Amino acid sequence: MMGVADTCFLIDWARFSQRDLLFELFELVLVPEQVLAEVRSESTLLWLSRQLGRRRLQLLTPLPRQLEEAYRIVRASYAIHGLRRLDLPEAICLVVGREHGYVVLTENRGALMIREVLPELSDVVVWRALEVLRELLLRQHVSARSEEEVRALFRRYEEETLHIFPRDELEAVVEEVLRSARGRGTRGAEG
Amino acid sequence: MADWDFIRSQPPRLRAALELYVETGDLRLAQRISGLVLEDFVELLKKAGLRTGL
Repeated sequence: MMGVADTCFLIDWARFSQRDLLFELFELVLVPEQVLAEVRSESTLLWLSRQLGRRRLQLLTPLPRQLEEAYRIVRASYAIHGLRRLDLPEAICLVVGREHGYVVLTENRGALMIREVLPELSDVVVWRALEVLRELLLRQHVSARSEEEVRALFRRYEEETLHIFPRDELEAVVEEVLRSARGRGTRGAEG
Repeated sequence: MADWDFIRSQPPRLRAALELYVETGDLRLAQRISGLVLEDFVELLKKAGLRTGL
């Protein structure tokens, strides 16, 4: 699986002690250069550069036509009432995600919302850290033998990154993970 | 949960940005109002007890 990541995802994810788990899911994650330009903290830049060196991340220079389409998406986000605004970095991620079927990694809810109003983006898969952690659990890249262990993973992410998951969505993901575990017949996952 | 004491203690531009974010959940618009780069604005949100992805 391939991904393309924007700034607000990376600046949180880079603070997570288990951040390298990202590469259990993704063989490669693209980082548009406009995203890299927004990263300022030393620790985040060090992790990014290390992963670029290991070729787990790859820097992406968007083509002119991709930039043009991204600008169009940005304009749409400003023009359509009720949408959260997008800026160029996450719009580029959506364009690349749509063109290549890559998973877009972002925390900007505007990227989730715009898929509902622009038909050409409706099939783009967008994951936040919530979905990434969910997939790590569902695909058993992270072992969790009980409800407490499932919740502990999300709690650890919140504590380390100071990112707060929406409670209702977190509960839905926890239930989904536990249901999947029950379906696999995993002992001890029933909480 | 939002730390309103922190939010109200901020300089006008940052306070306006934080309040706008609470009201609309619009990360990029609030960031523009703040005048901060995204990473710094997200840090400010965390200090204010707010989360991205509202």
